[in-house]
Amino acid sequence: MDRLTSWIARLVFVFLYLPIAALIVYSFNSSEVSYRFDGFTFRWYLELFQDQMLGDALRTSAIVGIIAALLSTAIGFLTAFALVRFRVKGRAFFLGAILVPLIVPEIVLGVSLLTIFSTAGIPTGFVTLILGHVVITLPLATLVLMGAMSALDPSLSEAATDLGASPWVTFRRVLFPLLRPSILAAFLLSFTTSFSNIVISTFTAGVGTTTLPLRIYSTLRTGLTPELNALGTILVVATLGIILVVGVAQMRRILAGPRP
Amino acid sequence: MFMTETPEPPAVRLTGLTKSFGANRVVQPLDLDIRRNEFFSILGPSGCGKTTLMRMITGFETPTGGSVELDGQNVDKVPTKSRDLNMLFQSYALFPHLSVYENVAFELRVRRTPKGEIDTRVKEALELVRLGAFAARKPAELSGGQRQRVALARAVVGRPAVVLLDEPLGALDQKLRKEMQFELKRMQREVGITFIYMTHDQEEALTMSDRIAVMSEGRVLQVASPTEIYDEPASRFVATFIGSCNVLDGVIDAHGRSVVVPGVGELPAAVPADARPGTGVTLAIRPERVRMAAAGTSVPPVGAVPGTLEERVFLGDEWTFHVRLASGGVMTVSVPSGEEAASLGAIPNGGAVVLSWLPASARVLPAEAVAA
Repeated sequence: MDRLTSWIARLVFVFLYLPIAALIVYSFNSSEVSYRFDGFTFRWYLELFQDQMLGDALRTSAIVGIIAALLSTAIGFLTAFALVRFRVKGRAFFLGAILVPLIVPEIVLGVSLLTIFSTAGIPTGFVTLILGHVVITLPLATLVLMGAMSALDPSLSEAATDLGASPWVTFRRVLFPLLRPSILAAFLLSFTTSFSNIVISTFTAGVGTTTLPLRIYSTLRTGLTPELNALGTILVVATLGIILVVGVAQMRRILAGPRP
Repeated sequence: MFMTETPEPPAVRLTGLTKSFGANRVVQPLDLDIRRNEFFSILGPSGCGKTTLMRMITGFETPTGGSVELDGQNVDKVPTKSRDLNMLFQSYALFPHLSVYENVAFELRVRRTPKGEIDTRVKEALELVRLGAFAARKPAELSGGQRQRVALARAVVGRPAVVLLDEPLGALDQKLRKEMQFELKRMQREVGITFIYMTHDQEEALTMSDRIAVMSEGRVLQVASPTEIYDEPASRFVATFIGSCNVLDGVIDAHGRSVVVPGVGELPAAVPADARPGTGVTLAIRPERVRMAAAGTSVPPVGAVPGTLEERVFLGDEWTFHVRLASGGVMTVSVPSGEEAASLGAIPNGGAVVLSWLPASARVLPAEAVAA
């Protein structure tokens, strides 16, 4: 029985990582078709760097992702603070309302966003992309930060106030340093959610603001090129890099000793 | 300027201070003066309103009515950060990301004290709590007692007029608690700051305080010195909450000199001169003021009360005896360990005994003095 479960676990593991491994291997495949491995090459990486359209899409996605993540983290922090710390009227309602965009199908959000933007006469572009992404990243950031804040002793900010700190000083000297890992987590989660979004981008992107996932999706019509494998590999490596950097920082914090 | 009779205003003066949460009034309107350099305890069971009272003094809660004065100045409109008081939180609320030194220095840095002065004063405060060697540690690397000292150093370093302490010993074990009681008292004397100490532990309050306010259900029932509170409780609640106490319900006798308890008889008591015969009262007698003897062995003074010894409990430094009275009620008698207690050991359980006490030891309290 134990052997069986351990084999299942191994198979699941292989299933999870096989696509990523294949992606990396084929990004170095000199053949143009994926069923044959002809030899090692950097050709696809070179082509990728010369691909103007993909480069633009990558830049769009990065800008939208960073701004959406910044907005979500900042607004999410304040929302979480209000909901965790104060006896806000209609607290239960707000808590529910925050979750709704996570449950509503994205396609519905996309359609309604487009309706609103065209009614309001806002041309699709960076602004609409960012607003659209914030709708789904804000709930995530808020939830992450609410969890972290409820774990924090509420007396800490009272103690700071009692010792003469203004709300800003309390934030800068006490809350921010203590919540830094969670703020970073909220930011990264918002960024990756925005970066990989397709559905909402489909409705909110305009001419000249095609995001990376939209660009990749559209190349399906002309057939996948090994160039995309190279792009995928770069993204996987970048993600691993971030996890490693954040993870090491987290580990160090945990090893520094349990908090009282 | 008017000169009043007392040149020094009290450290804290509460006038008609009250707080309601919705329809629930947690602090009834109360007036209270806390003197300068006083170790003042607010003693009451949890939920009596003492935490809310304290949070109104610090400014964390806005009172529903009444006002708070600090050193003669009305502070109703003054925010917490500008009030000349600090608080020691029950959880200590030390900043976990800062060293002991930086925790203590926090207030001085926020208030932009000159650098050189910060260092002198932080070191001074750490010496006071005997933690000079721990300045570089993080709170997580300290024991509970040490954390508590850091919190105290942090609360006094800015030399506030008042420090409020919210059950600071609650998280410590029994032995450390006793030590810290004396330490706190010593430090309070050394720094000369008014301490307002919240506790539900009557022993803590009796040990450390100059004066105690006993609170129950949002009301202050009595404000007095520890000995007064213990020897002259003003109500049944105070008598039973502070130490253990035997309470018997009865009425003032026809001569206004003793108390008649139904089923027991006429009992010696310190009946006030103005007591009216026939008035319903509560008799409060401390267990250590009651003398017990085997029935028939001695001739006790006035008003010996017969009873049956039901149970004895050995507590180390004393014996506690439970005696069933003819009325069905039980009285507790405590006798310090020693010869007298040893001689009482001869009485078997179920044996007949007589109880007696000096009239002065039996306090007459208004019946149903418990706050409604």
